[in-house]
Amino acid sequence: MSDTLLEVREVSKTFTLGSRKTLKAVENVSFGVEQNSICVLLGPSGCGKSTVLRMIAGLETATEGRVALGGKAVTGPGQDRGMVFQAYTSFDWLSVRKNVEFGMKVNNIDAAKRRERTNHFLNLVGLSKFADAYPSQLSGGMRQRVAIARTLANDPEVLLMDEPFGALDAETRWLMQELMIDVAEKTNTTMVIVTHDLEEAIFLADKIIFLSSHPGRVKEEIIPAFKAGKRIADKEHIIRMNGYSDLEEKLMRLMREEGHREN
Amino acid sequence: MTNSKPPRDFFSVRSHVGRVQGIISAIGIWAIFFGVWIVATSLGWVNELLVPSPQKVLTATHDLFVNRGFSSDVLVSVGRVFISFAMACTVAIPLGVAMGTFPSIEAIFAPFVSAWRYLPAPSFIPILLMWFGTGEAPKLALLFIGVIFFLITLVMDHTKNVRTELIETALTLGASRYVIILKVVFPAAFPDIVTAMRQMMAMAWTYLVIAEIVASTTGIGAMMMRARRFLKTDEILSGIIVIGVLGLLTDVLFRVLHRQLFPYIEVKH
Ligand SMILES: Nc1ncnc2c1ncn2[C@@H]1O[C@H](COP(=O)(O)OP(=O)(O)OP(=O)(O)O)[C@@H](O)[C@H]1O
Ligand SMILES: [Mg+2]
Repeated sequence: MSDTLLEVREVSKTFTLGSRKTLKAVENVSFGVEQNSICVLLGPSGCGKSTVLRMIAGLETATEGRVALGGKAVTGPGQDRGMVFQAYTSFDWLSVRKNVEFGMKVNNIDAAKRRERTNHFLNLVGLSKFADAYPSQLSGGMRQRVAIARTLANDPEVLLMDEPFGALDAETRWLMQELMIDVAEKTNTTMVIVTHDLEEAIFLADKIIFLSSHPGRVKEEIIPAFKAGKRIADKEHIIRMNGYSDLEEKLMRLMREEGHREN
Repeated sequence: MTNSKPPRDFFSVRSHVGRVQGIISAIGIWAIFFGVWIVATSLGWVNELLVPSPQKVLTATHDLFVNRGFSSDVLVSVGRVFISFAMACTVAIPLGVAMGTFPSIEAIFAPFVSAWRYLPAPSFIPILLMWFGTGEAPKLALLFIGVIFFLITLVMDHTKNVRTELIETALTLGASRYVIILKVVFPAAFPDIVTAMRQMMAMAWTYLVIAEIVASTTGIGAMMMRARRFLKTDEILSGIIVIGVLGLLTDVLFRVLHRQLFPYIEVKH
């Protein structure tokens, strides 16, 4: 873990609801994401996780504060910050291959390179055999892998994911989480992942940013020290590690505190 | 007898109708329709002059096509529908997509378009005749007016239904506005737009007949009005049947087109 690639500094977001009412969704959130690391945004429902991620993506503008990638302020969406959503976002009218090529085509990457990268990333997510299928012929987990391959093939500096596996069944979700560890290892991609699944957070994170709700603030920044910077390849393994259950218990307690506050 | 299926209840709620039952049901209702018609005319229950028998209508149809140059009337009618429909699509699809994409454009055109939608197109016939005389123009104009405002609204709605996540995904892949509209919004809405076109096509046929009945010397509607003058009910009914068949054919054409253009859409039962 080296330099900070992504910096979120004193960011607030106030939504305007109708003509007079406003809603402070996020208040004074600051954190940094190191190059080649996985940062997980965790917190109870409605605490502003998606809002923070969307501000990083440039899909939402911060009311106060700033987001910077590699020292440059973020002013709007761009190729350097690829995003994977919870909802399926496959372009149904394009084959899997064309889906993965989409971003590169938009960014004028030449055909030979496009083809090579598409093959590489389809292989990485295990979809080589389905290159010519349409997304509608794939299962939910496979479609999400298409979205991940499409985003990675576009060579972003940071991969943003908003509850990417939230709609999948448990077993597929584990496989996807393991896939992400594999991808992180092989591609050195920096990631920011939003989740409210504690297991997922511990398994994936090099750093967990826990947000409190109404408005969203950074309640605690947690580094799962028991993993000591290692990434563990399969889920069964991590559960047996010393320190796992302590961390899970701690996160559960944080979750519950925030949940109670809400009511 | 051991593996005989339990008898199905005819009135089972929302259960799938089998292929055989479907075919029998569809043919059956038509058989009853023609049966009643044949019986009623042959037994003299109805005035032969007002309700000719199906056989007479069939003969009249044959005669119309073979000896009376009816095919040129049919071609004229088909031409009118397709030309005016193409003109309406040329305006409605780009405008509808633009309105569904840019709220600023919607703000300009939506109040205008929805007002026009409530004006029945045939109410323009007298003024169209005064403006354009009796040539092709007033007929094309009527069909155009009758179709375009509904089509714009439908295209706009379908464009608005394109999920925001698709657009945002394209944005985070680095796509420009131009690329997003052409490569994401339009292709995503296109299947629904073709369906809207299919629905509006039925409307175009309706206005065609109105235009031809009210003010035309050519076309299927005009033939029917001529036949009325000579009390030829069989020819009037021929006209109705031909219009029905043409309508059905265009509908089938659009369905086939839909399946060819969008092979990725699973057929939903
Ligand atoms: N576009 C918007 N306009 C108005 N309010 C919004 C908007 N987007 C989010 N909010 C509000 O901001 C708050 C934070 O929402 P956000 O979606 O960021 O939470 P979240 O932590 O991602 O929740 P979840 O776990 O349910 O996805 C919520 O109260 C939500 O209602
Ligand atoms: Mg969210």
